Amino acid sequence: MKYFTGLVAGFAVVVVTLAPAAAQHTVAAKFDVSKSITLTGTVTQVDWATPYAHILMKVPSANSGAPARWAVEIESPILLSNNGWSQTTVKPGDVIRVEGPPARDGSKQVSGKTVLLTSTNKVVFKGYNGTPVAKPVVPDAPTPLWPDGHPRLGPTPGQTGYWGNPSSTSLVQAGVSVPMDAYGLLKNISDVDKVAPMQKWARDVYELRQRTFLSSDPMFQGCKPPGGPRQYQQISGVQFVEDLEHQRIFVLMGGGNRNERIMYLDGRKQVGQRNGDDDNPLYYGRAVAKWESGTLVADIIGFNEKFWFDNGGLPHTEQLHLKERYTRTSMNTLKYEVTIEDPGAYTKPWTASWTLQWIPGEELPYFLCQDNRP
Amino acid sequence: MRNQSTKKTFTVLTAFVLTLGLSVLGLSQGAAPAAQNGVTAPPLPAAPANAGRGAAGRGGARGANATPSAPTPRRADGKPIMGSMPGTATGRWNGGPTTLPPRNLDEVPFQPWARIVYDQRQIDQFEPHTRCKASGAARQFSTPYGTEFLEVPDLQRIYIMDEGGPHSYRIIYMDGRPHPKNLAPSYYGHSIGSWDGDTLVVDTIGFNEKFWMDTRGTPHTTQLHFIERFTRTDFNTMQYQATIDDPGAYTKTWTTPLFSMRWGANQDLFEYVCQDNNKGPELMLGSQESVDRSILYVP
Repeated sequence: MKYFTGLVAGFAVVVVTLAPAAAQHTVAAKFDVSKSITLTGTVTQVDWATPYAHILMKVPSANSGAPARWAVEIESPILLSNNGWSQTTVKPGDVIRVEGPPARDGSKQVSGKTVLLTSTNKVVFKGYNGTPVAKPVVPDAPTPLWPDGHPRLGPTPGQTGYWGNPSSTSLVQAGVSVPMDAYGLLKNISDVDKVAPMQKWARDVYELRQRTFLSSDPMFQGCKPPGGPRQYQQISGVQFVEDLEHQRIFVLMGGGNRNERIMYLDGRKQVGQRNGDDDNPLYYGRAVAKWESGTLVADIIGFNEKFWFDNGGLPHTEQLHLKERYTRTSMNTLKYEVTIEDPGAYTKPWTASWTLQWIPGEELPYFLCQDNRP
Repeated sequence: MRNQSTKKTFTVLTAFVLTLGLSVLGLSQGAAPAAQNGVTAPPLPAAPANAGRGAAGRGGARGANATPSAPTPRRADGKPIMGSMPGTATGRWNGGPTTLPPRNLDEVPFQPWARIVYDQRQIDQFEPHTRCKASGAARQFSTPYGTEFLEVPDLQRIYIMDEGGPHSYRIIYMDGRPHPKNLAPSYYGHSIGSWDGDTLVVDTIGFNEKFWMDTRGTPHTTQLHFIERFTRTDFNTMQYQATIDDPGAYTKTWTTPLFSMRWGANQDLFEYVCQDNNKGPELMLGSQESVDRSILYVP
């Protein structure tokens, strides 16, 4: 019976509230980082789900009325686990003191910049805004190869691993360095023009997206997939599964919604599948690839405009054409190079590159953009 | 007057038959080998015209007419190939079970609460899948566009790639490893597979409770231990049967009827993004208000 009450109440809540949804985002997208509040209260629940875990707490009211219920947003369970957290680091009944920026929309939510357990007076959480914990460096080894001599993009037989810790988490043209946070938010808005050779309209759109703290990100608003280079700049990494029997490579996404996409190496054309996606523009585009000595060279066209192809909100159009080069320079390093051609948004083709680190012995973390509720 | 009416009926009938004929023709063309890949498939009997459609209603493709089919494809070691033949265009399995219980629900050893939840779900149908949640257990096989089995012998794994829902996947480890201890509950759980003769037996634990294990909402708990038997009885047929061992929801272990999935030849996975046209992001993600949860959960 209790279950039903919950179910019905849950339905009512969902129907009557149409506030924006929240998925992956930089802290400033949802919270007013120019302010800070401090709350002390009792933990009622730890909601352990991606993209962000929440500590739910009751805060006594000043005038002896009913306590206020607050939600403290902390990091993704994946990053929390990497930092030695578990679901029971704070438990229902614990008294905590939380300091951090409040939600912009006035709801009773706070981003936990620090969470202090009052019983021990120890800080148990310090917000890290998506910055991953450095993985221990493991001894490197030569690039693993298939029997025919081309590099393996995945693990060797009997092993497990994935590509994570991107050396850059936002797209910036080669040769330029601009300070940004882990989600691609510029530290200085005056750097807008340095990021890429944007056309005027694209530059203005980019600036607007930056000035609004990336809060219009389709991935933040509706868990749309991280197409294009963005998939290689996610905190949760990627995995490649090489299907030699059918001349294709699956890319398994650690960010977004744990989607899969395919690069075809069988010489086909970049056209749609009848009774499938036809010739619709796509989030991940139509990718073909081939090996050129030790480098996988991919070509992708057929993108839609419903996603951001970069964490920081650089615009693109349906004319986006990516030329990618994947080179596993050693066991532990994958170099990713991309040439971006989009005559709809940029004044000329431009390039960017970064590396991904091999995380051995682990599967892709189980990250789902829309896991948190309801 | 009567003549006119008869004539009219006749015309309509003719048009109907003609349309039917044309659409069947269209579908068969869609299934023609080598239409899109530049890879020539071996001359195999075509799947029936309706094979590409997810079967609606009870029992998936149960009772489908027997169609002539090539024998079960096998690897050099004699093991059945569960997915696409090496070197050929790829295909998908369609029409899995939409509901796991037998027709007589009284045969299912529901705990009382689980039966009530099951009955309620027939009314509200507020299914997590409609909010783009991943499709765990048998739910994976009842999305409209099927699944692809990707065998990676080199890594001793089978991936089951979902077309529909959030376009995700699960891994079946074939290397003899055990289930890890202290699994974090997830949509697909942790699957290990082994061969029982020609049958692939997949044992899965570690599920969360955020999905329905079939489209009808047959309940489960995190205690679910799900055992699936996949048998490719001929080229075009995959038999499927599951055993549900969940002391949280049932009084004893029970086994589903035997279902079958149909092979959809020359069906590549295509980009399907559940979130693309979902008009209720607040249903998928929850609103800020639901994060507060002051009504739902906080006592």
